[in-house]
Amino acid sequence: MIEVQDLRITFGAGTPMETPALRGISLDIPEGQFVTVIGSNGAGKTTLLNALSGEAVPDSGRVLIDDADVTNWPTHQRAQLAARVFQDPMAGSCANLSIIENLGLANARGRKRTIGPATGKALREKAKRRLARLELGLEDRLDDPMELLSGGQRQAVSLLMATFNPMKILLLDEHTAALDPKIAAFVIELTRTIVEERKLTTMMVTHSMRQALDVGERTVMLHEGQIVLDVSGDERSGLKVEDLLHMFEKVRGEELDDDTLLLG
Amino acid sequence: MNAFRLTAAALTAICVTTGALAADKFVAITQIVEHPALDACRKGVKDVLAENGFVEGKNLKWAYQSAQGNVATAAQIAKKFVGDGPDVIVAIATPSAQTVVASTKTIPVVFSAVTDPVAAKLVSNWENPGKNVTGTSDMAPIDKHIALIKRITPNVKKLGVLFNPGEVNSVSSLDAVKKAAPALGIEVFEGAAPKSSEVLAAARALVGKVDAFYVPTDNTVVSAFEAVVKVGIDAQLPVYAADTDSVPRGAIAALGFNYYEVGRQTGEMVLSILKGKAAGSIPVSGVKKMDLFLNVKSAAKMGVTIPDAVISEATKVVK
Amino acid sequence: MSLIALLGTLETGLIFALVALGVYLSFRILQFPDLTVDGSFPLGAAVSAILIVNGFNPFLATLVACVAGAGAGLITAWLNVRLKILHLLASILTMIALYSINLRIMGRPNVALLGEQTVFTPLEALGVPTYMAIPAALFVLIVIAKVGMDRFLNSEIGLAMRATGANARMARAQGINTNFYILLGMALSNALVALAGALFAQSQGAADVTMGVGVIVVGLAAVIGGEAVILPRTVFLATLACIAGSLMYRFAVAMALNADFIGLKAQDLNLITALVVAAAMVLPSVRAPVKRALVKDKRVVGPLK
Repeated sequence: MIEVQDLRITFGAGTPMETPALRGISLDIPEGQFVTVIGSNGAGKTTLLNALSGEAVPDSGRVLIDDADVTNWPTHQRAQLAARVFQDPMAGSCANLSIIENLGLANARGRKRTIGPATGKALREKAKRRLARLELGLEDRLDDPMELLSGGQRQAVSLLMATFNPMKILLLDEHTAALDPKIAAFVIELTRTIVEERKLTTMMVTHSMRQALDVGERTVMLHEGQIVLDVSGDERSGLKVEDLLHMFEKVRGEELDDDTLLLG
Repeated sequence: MNAFRLTAAALTAICVTTGALAADKFVAITQIVEHPALDACRKGVKDVLAENGFVEGKNLKWAYQSAQGNVATAAQIAKKFVGDGPDVIVAIATPSAQTVVASTKTIPVVFSAVTDPVAAKLVSNWENPGKNVTGTSDMAPIDKHIALIKRITPNVKKLGVLFNPGEVNSVSSLDAVKKAAPALGIEVFEGAAPKSSEVLAAARALVGKVDAFYVPTDNTVVSAFEAVVKVGIDAQLPVYAADTDSVPRGAIAALGFNYYEVGRQTGEMVLSILKGKAAGSIPVSGVKKMDLFLNVKSAAKMGVTIPDAVISEATKVVK
Repeated sequence: MSLIALLGTLETGLIFALVALGVYLSFRILQFPDLTVDGSFPLGAAVSAILIVNGFNPFLATLVACVAGAGAGLITAWLNVRLKILHLLASILTMIALYSINLRIMGRPNVALLGEQTVFTPLEALGVPTYMAIPAALFVLIVIAKVGMDRFLNSEIGLAMRATGANARMARAQGINTNFYILLGMALSNALVALAGALFAQSQGAADVTMGVGVIVVGLAAVIGGEAVILPRTVFLATLACIAGSLMYRFAVAMALNADFIGLKAQDLNLITALVVAAAMVLPSVRAPVKRALVKDKRVVGPLK
């Protein structure tokens, strides 16, 4: 479903601030697989996600989603195939629009928008059903502006928005990083449930090694723009954070010393 | 009997007083923007009325509003004045006049400082406007300018006109020059200067092709007037202008008018209307009184001697 | 205030309500400070005037004026979206260019419409004095415009436009081609302003090249002032606020014209406008603590507090 072929992206090429973010990434994610992507700051994981969502255009290499070559497609064009949840809860929705209006935006994603009303009865019914599952009481607050919600509530709604209508892939961009542990746990549970239910092809970028191992079925580790580890199946089940570290050291011949990575 | 006479006298007195009060006239003036020329115009109107017995505060209600350059405000002023029911509305400058005329077909309107009242559709003709509108135009008398050129330097057969083709008034002025010149045996040559930095080059390009320069009331060329004077002196070609302020700067001669006089002319019309004349029966008037400004020193530098007859007519002579 | 002055205030206020709606679209919805309106207002006036004077049907002329306004908005948006010029700068460039373009279109700085066939001419046959008929007709027009605008903003396309201005990145993630919506919104906004210009010229007897000066200020005063009085919680209220703001502004002008007894004159208008707008901007920050206190209990009590 997701195919990345020898992707290379360098920021600021030709300037003194030249930063090679991705140095030849190749990845194949079959349909329905839930992949977690881990790596220290600057490893390139957000850039990889941006390359998939359309916000970063590769210098070379290809990106294919469901066999379509989307390498040069702008973000809005890919939205019909990919749904994204941002790290910043504020970035994933429009603060001044209401909950139902935000859901209305998500509802129209991937198809041509019409001059008909954006938030009709049918949408409200569907929204109420979906929101009720969150058990946050939001189904009674459809017309409340988004800005009244807490970070965790907004992120839950963002997740709902991303999965409102069927789509090919789900991109999660450290979506619990800005939440406190209890709320983060809630959102991760929600994520698991939704992904399992719909069998969504999902790529979740996370800064926490533990989360990377606990969630999903495959873990890919990036370091300095390249994939250094790729574990799944039996090899992966039962792995602990220290094991992952040892594997890293073996491959790279150096110690990993990023605190947020280890302690998260 | 005495009581009856007293009552009669008292009643008469009351009637006369109220009659006099009823004779209080109300003149409303709307001006598009505060500007020395337009303010002078307004003063001209007021002075003429005062000289003829209509004094503000005594027997004249005088309401003045400026639109601060904003046409929408002028529209509101027009409506306000119409609603207040004055005896005459004086409108200074085209936009203010247009919006007043659009708001009333009954109240007498006298416009002032409107360059082309027919093009502005305020009146359909000058001689007998007919409706409720008349006024004074400030159109520059270009034909008189050309005639002046011929008087001072009769040998001029080719006249170079320097102007900015982007200034609409200049284009109109140029057209007026082209209309008036042939009758006096003068051929017109154009020197276009879209920017003030190009005026010098435009003037130089005409040297050898023309016998004299004429500069209309063009903001661009007038701002670089010294350049034209320089070329005139170097090539010994007389430089004439349309505005009197250019004469101290080096123009040989200019026939200008001042807005105070235009205002006075307007005031005369207002007076007639207050005395009962219908606005539509008063013909529109152009500028009547003009000032001749001369610069003898500059003339000498350009190789021109101004005839004494002309000097004697001058309002102001710069030596 | 006389009835004529009152209706005159209403007339101007209703015409400029179109400007307020246009400015609302660009400034509030798209977050695009747009000075083009100082050029597109007289553009609408110029195009309709020159067409009318040359014998065209006034309704057709007004329609063409709207299209011209849309074009001006498209140019500004294109400069911003394609050439990546800062929106404020892009709008200034178009505004400056329009000054010359308007002069070209008119051929002279003033094109008179007194006595010409205008969109208001049919009203004269009604037998009602025009100073009543014109404001009434404009009222009907504004109601139609408001209903249309509300419907539009609540539609999928309108919602996408609102998202474009509120959070462009998120909008793109929802499949919204933000560039397209900026172009569309700016075209619509300036079409409304050009319509206002065309109507104004036809009701006031002339199109004048100086008509555009300060239109953006009046538009902003109307939008911001209106919001201070009517909280724009919904689309319906937001557009109502624009119309109310425009009327309020014109009444403030009328007050200033009638306030010679306290020494206020039309000269002080700009000062009054500045004070009104400043007060309107300060008002929300006085309101906010009040709003927060009222809304506090709406928060959910639960794991995600």
